[in-house]
This record gives sequence, C-alpha cells and structure tokens, in this order.
Amino acid sequence: MLSHLEITRPKHGRLAAATCGSYPEAVTAEPATALERAIADPPPVPGIGTRSPVEGLERRTVGFVDVLAQSVSAVAPSAAATTIPLLVAVVAGGGTLWALAVAMVLSLLIAGTVNQFSRRIAATGSLYTYVSRGLGTGAGFVAGTAMLVGYGFIAMFALAGAGYYLAILLGRVWPGAVSSTGLAVAMIAAMALVVVVVIVRGIRLSTRLTLLIETVSVAIILVLVVTLLVNTGGSFEWSALSLAGSTPATFAVGAVLALTAFVGFESSSALGVEARRPFAAVPRAIVWTVIVSGSLYLVATYSQIVGFGALGLDLTASASPVNDLATAYGVEWMGLLLDVSIATSFLACAIASTTALARVLFAMGREGVLPPVLGVTHRRFRTPWVAAAVAVPVVALVPIVSIALGSGLWETMQTLIVVAAAGYITAYVLVCVAAPVFLRRIGELTTGVAVRAVAAAALLSVGLVVYLVVEFAGERWLGALVFVLLMAAGCGYYLVRKRRHPWLLDTIGVYDVPVAGDVLGGGSPG
Amino acid sequence: MTGEAQPLSTPPSAPADLRARQPKAVHSALAVLEEVARCGAGVTAQQVSENLGMPRATTYRLINLLVQDEYLVRMPDLRGFTLGRKVVELAHLVAPVAPPQAAVAVVDELRAGIRGGVHLVRYEGDRMRVVDVDPDFPLSDSRRLTAELDTSAMGRLLVAELLEQGAPLPPEVRPIVRQSPERLESIRRGVALEGRAWQVDAFTPGFGCLALPIRGPRGELVASLTLSAPRIRIEQPGPVLDQLLDGTRRLAPPPPLTAPRIPLLPRIE
Repeated sequence: MLSHLEITRPKHGRLAAATCGSYPEAVTAEPATALERAIADPPPVPGIGTRSPVEGLERRTVGFVDVLAQSVSAVAPSAAATTIPLLVAVVAGGGTLWALAVAMVLSLLIAGTVNQFSRRIAATGSLYTYVSRGLGTGAGFVAGTAMLVGYGFIAMFALAGAGYYLAILLGRVWPGAVSSTGLAVAMIAAMALVVVVVIVRGIRLSTRLTLLIETVSVAIILVLVVTLLVNTGGSFEWSALSLAGSTPATFAVGAVLALTAFVGFESSSALGVEARRPFAAVPRAIVWTVIVSGSLYLVATYSQIVGFGALGLDLTASASPVNDLATAYGVEWMGLLLDVSIATSFLACAIASTTALARVLFAMGREGVLPPVLGVTHRRFRTPWVAAAVAVPVVALVPIVSIALGSGLWETMQTLIVVAAAGYITAYVLVCVAAPVFLRRIGELTTGVAVRAVAAAALLSVGLVVYLVVEFAGERWLGALVFVLLMAAGCGYYLVRKRRHPWLLDTIGVYDVPVAGDVLGGGSPG
Repeated sequence: MTGEAQPLSTPPSAPADLRARQPKAVHSALAVLEEVARCGAGVTAQQVSENLGMPRATTYRLINLLVQDEYLVRMPDLRGFTLGRKVVELAHLVAPVAPPQAAVAVVDELRAGIRGGVHLVRYEGDRMRVVDVDPDFPLSDSRRLTAELDTSAMGRLLVAELLEQGAPLPPEVRPIVRQSPERLESIRRGVALEGRAWQVDAFTPGFGCLALPIRGPRGELVASLTLSAPRIRIEQPGPVLDQLLDGTRRLAPPPPLTAPRIPLLPRIE
C-alpha cells in the first residue's frame, strides 16, 4: 500500500494529491515543457547583479508619452515649421517641398538605424553610448563630443531663440525691447534658471512641461495652416511640387538644411534608463517624432508656398513669412499667438536638449571620461543634477557673452545652429556606421538593416561635407569653424585622457543592465 | 518538480498542439520562449534561429518584441538572452491549472453554507493567482486585484508574508516602499496581529474582502481563502469566520508524508 503510493505519486502528481488530501501545491500539474519547468523552478542565472552601473536615476518609470515628449520637444517642430521653409526656399527655390520630403525620408532611415541600438541597449548616453558599443572607444568619443556639441549648441540656440521671440512680443507694447541688450541678457539668464530647476526636479516634470508646451504650439501652427488653406481655396496647388529654379547642387544643400529641422529626434534615447519599457517606448518615440514633425513641416511649407503664391508674392523675399501671411490674410492677431508659441517652443527645446545633454555628461562621469562628480544623482529627485548644474551656466553664458560683445540675438542664433547641426550630423554618420558592426558582433545582422545603415551613412557623409563647405563659404563661417575647433579639442582631450588612464578603454559606453528583479531566477524568489 | 527524466522530445510537441488553435505568431513566440528556457541563460538570437529553423530576420524581430514586453531579457553582454520575470504571467497560458477535486469539494461546501463569494487563491514566491473563482460572485476587477497588492485583501496577505520573510517585494509595490513605508508596515502588523487581511470599499463601495491564510508545514503562505461580501459582514463576520477557518484547516497541506505514517506501519504488518 505504502510502496504503491510512493511509486505513483511523482508520476501522477495531480491524482495522488487529490487522493491524499487537498494539498494546494498539487494545483500545478507536472511541468511538461522547458518553459513550464523554468517557471515552476527557475534555474539560477549567473552574471546578473543587483545593481546597474547607471544606478541612481529614476529607473523604468516614465511612460511612452513622456519619452515621445522628450524627442518632439528637442526637435521643436513648431519653431522649425515657421522658420525652416524660408531657409530651405532661399537655397532650393521651387524644390522646397521635395527637399523637405527627402530630408524626412533620410531622417526615417537614420531613425531606423538608431533604433537597432535603442531596441537593444537602454542607456543615457544616446548616440555616444551606441557608437562606443559599435565602433569602440575612439569613434565613441568622437560621437560623444559631437553629441555634446549638438545638444549643447541647440540648447544655446533655443535659449537665444526664446529670448529673441520674447523680445519681439514685448516690442509690441514697448518698442525699445527688441534692441535692448540688457533685457535680452536678463531674459536668457531667467530662462536658464527655469531650465535648471525643471531638470533637477525630476524627469517627469520636464517631460510633462515640454509636452504641454509643444502640444499647444503645434496646435496654434495647425490653426494658422488651416486658416491659410481655407482662405486660398482648398484645392491642391500642384505648382507647389514643381522643381523650377533648383539645380541638383542647390537641391542637395536645401535637403541638408531641411535635415537640420529634424535633428534631436534621437534624444529620447537618453531616457533609456528612465523609460518604463525602454525597448518599446524609445524606438517608437524616435520614429513617431520624425513622422509627426515631418508631416507638420510638409503641411506648413505647402501652406506658406500656396499662401504667398495666391498673394502673387515671393516667399524668399519675406523676412518673417508666417507673420506676413497672417497680416495679409487679415488674421494679424495670430501673429501674436505665433510669437508666444515659438518662444515657448524654444524654451521647451532648451529644456529637452539640456535634459539629453545632462544625461550624456552623466554617462561620461560614470565612466570616468569626465570628472566622476558629473555622475552624481540627486538623492530625492533621482536626476543627474550635478551634470545639469554644470551644463546650464555654460549653455546660458555663450549666447549672453555673444550679445554682450555686440552681436545681435538673431546673428548669434544663426552661428549657434550651424555648430549644433554639424554636431548632430557627425554623430548620425557614426551611428549609421556603427550599427552594422555592432549587430554583426552580437550575431544579429541582417541584410536589410545593413543596406539601410550603409545607405544612410553614405548620404549623410556627403550631406555633412556639403553642409560644412557651404557654411564655410557663406556668412555663417564662424559656426563651421567653431564646430571644427571643438571637435579637434574633444579629440585632443580624449588622447590625453587615454594616455593617463588606459583603463578608460574598458569602461566607456555604460548602459543599464538587467538586475535580479528583472530576470526569472535572478536571485529573488519568483 | 523538475522531473529530470523528461524526454527532450516533449518541447516541440507542446507548441505543435498550439498550432491548430493559435495564430502563427503566438505559436512562434512561445516556441522562442520555450527554446530560451530549454537552452538556458545566455543563448544567442542566432542559436535560437538555428535551433528552431526559423528565418533569422523573423526570429530577431520576435525576440526584440519579446524583449520589449519583458518576457525575455537581454543579458549584460548584449548577445545572450534569458527569461524575464514576466513569463510567470504566462504560467496559466502554458499550463492551465485547476485545483484538485478534493479542494474543490471543500470550497463548494463552504460556498453552499456562506452568503458571499468564496475564492481560492494560490501564492508562488511574490506572485499570486486566483485559482478558483466563485462562479456566483465573479471578481470585480481581477487585473487590479493582482496589480494593487497593497489594496486587495488577498494581496495584503502576500505583502505581509514577503515583509515577514524580508524577501524583495514585486516591482508593482516597490514605489510604495519609497512613498509610504508606513502603509506597508501597517499591513504587516495587521496580518501579524489578526492572522488575516481585509479591505472594505477599495474596489466596490459598500463591499469588502476578507482573506484567511492557508499555511504550509513550515508556516509559509501557500494559499488563501477569501470571502467577498457586504461591508458589515467583513467587519463583523461572526460565525462565518469559524466556517472559513475550518475550511483553511481542511485545505492546509498535510505535514510531511513520512511523519504520520510511521505509527501506522505496525498495523499494516
């Protein structure tokens, strides 16, 4: 009797348990597959620790909408939708819409390649970390310098831009405001204070605030676009698609300029550690940012071309096309609304870019590439507050010093955007080269991905050279020069640092690793 | 429970059963999970694709989707994979479970004698699952029940148990540790003092729930009997409490098999 029980119990777990009392553990049947066995009795997983190297941040907390807000705000689509069409039209002539469409396709190509990393690595260093993981420390550091230049100068540009449009707004009631240097300095300093407070107080505050601002300002732009289209008849104006007045060379330059309207879409990858489901949220946010801002640019550009066409005027002859259009179509009050929208959109862009900048600095601090104090996080707010507190004064001082030296706000902005755009495009080239190398190393390279990455890298390299040559030859040569000098300084710093600390080669490129709580059998019960 | 004698031929047959009923993608996803479980931590995407004979691009896309949803976790070396803790939620999918007949009989008897919903809950590590829902009183929000462990009576039992053991709390409760540790401490103290957990008004106003632990031989929490009823009957259960306590005693696992059987041996001889 007893021996019978002992033989049958393990074989027919459920039956035996039912006969010898109602033991709840018999609720699970005998595991039949490896998956069931693993769930019933998780085998220990070696190599999983309890701490991540990026510990201290608010790990896995912000949702998709916040991640999307980060990327969209860094792009500042409403500010770009009012300024970029003019910049592109001046160069590309009739091909403006096409140049924007090409830039959008190229951005999608880059986004797809960046996402090969963001689907696999959760980090704060954005493209810096990705390139380090793909091409090693040297190329990684070049990308890191380019990213710091990109995020840093776009933040300076945005602060200056917010100051510029606020001055125009104040100029409506106090005509002296536009030319007052003291006022501009005071406004930039005040906004820099806002930026640093928002960033230190927690990632959710900065993403929610920028989301609110961007939603409102995009809505304002869309209202104006619809007003324009209704006023001009509503039927599609095919002439907007003509390529008249543009040559292959001018078209290429136009497309590169249009690309600068998209830069920043990758910045949600700096929230890899803080996103709740980073491998889902970050790639989606990157692609949707390109789609949302690209669509807005196309609609806004079309409406501006059609708007000027209907008036019989030339878009490129206008200094402020959107305001001119608002006046011409009798909705002048919209001009006021637009200035508010652009100013706040620039402020959101400054917050988002500095958020990313602080996280790249944080990663470099944690690695020991930069002083480790930059890797310190706030105990309560769980933000890289030292990096933010160091970055923001620099970001604010550059435009302040520039206008104090007698350069106008608008001229300063023109130079800053060139430096930033060159930084972004450099990092994009490197990340597109790095992606196939990285995928090959982890054994996950497929032909389609490789072809797209190589195509994007080739197009971007040409674009970067064209851009730098054009800018060196033009009025904004100072921007191109500053970019080249900064990159050289960054590389010099790296060579010195590497000689003094050879161990850096092993630490560069930190990312969030799974901890015991994420893994089945990672040490905690479950 | 591991059953090392399991022949290796069983895993492919399990997904094959699914093929007939489930869409192909689900079948492939489960096959990938199964393969990672079979090979163990550190298996690469390439190996999974080769072992399953699935196209590489498809496999990589599936694996990345499973990583996005945290069923799989990429190892720190970025090449290898292991199962994420979320696969525990799949447990009922891969192994549909029902409580044993004898337990069903006890619970049915209780249901016949008690006005209110009587449910049987099972605990595994830091997870819980309602294994027998009272058909006359369906759960109001089963997702919230298992997600808000600090709110539901059955969840509070688990939270108290984990705190007593000093074991880590599941991720969904962790924010509360930071925000209001005193809330968790009061849950722990309540269960330690009263030997049961309860809540009123948390899910349905005017109603509440009472959870009585079923403990294993070493006093560990293995299951619970819960009563959902109008507020007054939770706060003053009266004789129902004795009925339920009797139920938990009858459902409790017996002490280790060897102990009670030794004195029986002479009589068999």
